[in-house]
Amino acid sequence: MTFDPPAQAVLSAHSAKRGAISLSGITRIFAGSIAAVDHIDLDIHPGEFFTLLGPSGCGKTTLLRMIAGFEAPDDGRILISGREMQDVPAHKRAVNTVFQSYALFPHLNVEQNIGFGLRMRGIKNPERKKRVDAIMEMMQIGDFAKRSATQLSGGQRQRVALARALVNEPEVVLLDEPLSALDAKLRAELQIELLRMQKRLGMTFIFVTHDQHEALVMSDRIGVMSKGKIQQVGPVLDVYEKPKNVFVAEFLGLSNIWPFTPTGPHTAQTPLGELTIAAPLNGSGLAMIRPEKIWIYNDTAVPKDQTNLFMGVVREAIYMGASTQYRIELANGQSVLAFDTNNQAAERSWRPGEPVAVELKPDNIMQIEP
Amino acid sequence: MIPRGVRYALSGISWPVYVLLYTPLALVAYYSFSPAPNSTGHSLHAYNILLHDGAVGAALQRSLILAFGSAITSTVLGTLLGYGLCRFRNANAKGFLAHMPSLIIYTPIIMPSLVFGISELIFFNFVHNATGFLSAGLGTMVIAHITFQVPYVALTVFARLSGLDPYLFEASYDLYANGVKSFFYLIVPVVQPAIIGGFLLGITLSIDDFTISFFTSGPGSVTLPIYIYGAIARKGISPEINALGTLMIGTIIALALVHFFITRHRERAGQLAARGKIA
Repeated sequence: MTFDPPAQAVLSAHSAKRGAISLSGITRIFAGSIAAVDHIDLDIHPGEFFTLLGPSGCGKTTLLRMIAGFEAPDDGRILISGREMQDVPAHKRAVNTVFQSYALFPHLNVEQNIGFGLRMRGIKNPERKKRVDAIMEMMQIGDFAKRSATQLSGGQRQRVALARALVNEPEVVLLDEPLSALDAKLRAELQIELLRMQKRLGMTFIFVTHDQHEALVMSDRIGVMSKGKIQQVGPVLDVYEKPKNVFVAEFLGLSNIWPFTPTGPHTAQTPLGELTIAAPLNGSGLAMIRPEKIWIYNDTAVPKDQTNLFMGVVREAIYMGASTQYRIELANGQSVLAFDTNNQAAERSWRPGEPVAVELKPDNIMQIEP
Repeated sequence: MIPRGVRYALSGISWPVYVLLYTPLALVAYYSFSPAPNSTGHSLHAYNILLHDGAVGAALQRSLILAFGSAITSTVLGTLLGYGLCRFRNANAKGFLAHMPSLIIYTPIIMPSLVFGISELIFFNFVHNATGFLSAGLGTMVIAHITFQVPYVALTVFARLSGLDPYLFEASYDLYANGVKSFFYLIVPVVQPAIIGGFLLGITLSIDDFTISFFTSGPGSVTLPIYIYGAIARKGISPEINALGTLMIGTIIALALVHFFITRHRERAGQLAARGKIA
């Protein structure tokens, strides 16, 4: 495919930066309320799958709408492919949006919906049809090209909405919770399909979601948002494994969090007792460990001479198919949340009331901010 | 479930109502076929006279000019008004302010046409005395008819647009359409049934209108309803008037049917669009 962004957008040849987005000091305050988006600085790299993750009302959609040009920031600068966007209206930006409601045009059929952007840019028919047909084949929606947009199933509409954005070969594709209206199975399929499409086309995707699982599956990098601010930006693995603060730790998954006071370079006093922590300790703070990083032993097979080993009793066991979630109450009354995979269900499963031992490996304990 | 007895009673009542509604119309049609002078049996005599009556022809012509002139103009203005009220309404408005657009549109519709007609008369007189423009005639009638048709068109367009997914507008901007292109490639096609329906409604309202026409017409702008009124006042109800009435009934019924089918089509399309929305 050849690139053909709208003529107005090609003002200078920043080809190296094509698809890069740079936000600095972006602020948006809705009348009579607190800032929906509060001084956000963010760089999104060309060709990456970037996810804005956060609870509803955190400002992620507002941020996306400002990149698309539907809303103007009250302060700050937006650069798309190195170009200042302040005076560029939405219809002149080389970005395309996939809306949560899909917003397919009810008076047009699938083919015409997909070709709408090309038609508005004045691309005439042999060329337009060729490009529409190519994208429909790629998305496997050619079979219902002539069908009205109102006669499609949820998954089909999602594909058409994506095709309608991709056919324009935009520098950036913006996706506003595009999968949230679909059932779980279709959703999982489309996540993979979307990801495959993005890698194949090499376009920058900015994906907005409140679903941490979706964010983990799809993204190269994640920006976790809360109350109009970016809490943490980083590769998926970093954000999950090394969350910066309590909000990020809890939003991305279950976690055990305890306050600690250091008693040595690698030891700290916590409500559990004394813990050895591999990472260098930086004053007192919070210690976090993911439940799947906690090892559970039968009380008869407790390894000798291990650090961070605590005896306790299973209080709760929630079977979840591939794994089981346990709440284990330690001798001093503290609870520990732990996951165990059900790969040897018979030997390695515990019922409430059974005595066990848990081990928190020093490497897996992270220091986080409140 | 309605008991069978009640159902029968209700359908029993409905027939006299239908008779009451349509008998007068049928009578007009019946008398229009009255016998020619010095002969017996039904005839098309009254229609023949009507056909060769220059005054009727001129009045019909004026009525049609008035109807089409005002309906076309008010369709354009009403569409723009409906679009503007929907598109640029304040999303944060609450209570009374949130209903402002609908109130602005509804008020002229519920205003008694007598009041409307007199106020138009006063207004045109005022403007005429002050500037010399707008002397009573077909021109002032067209303006008056536009003013009472615009709300109907605006209302149908407004209703259609406010039922749409608001993200459609943004989607069109996102896909490189500026405001003008978005209007012609998205808004107009989507509200087209409402526009056509509004136009036809405007024509029927205009042809039908007597009160407002009466107050705003001038000496040289006698339209059909005014002609009929004058003819009855002079010499009572003649077979020619009945023939004229029959022709008007036929035309209005035809237009109403066209309007009905278009509205039904629009509703069906609207239902499909609604089904297309996410839950």
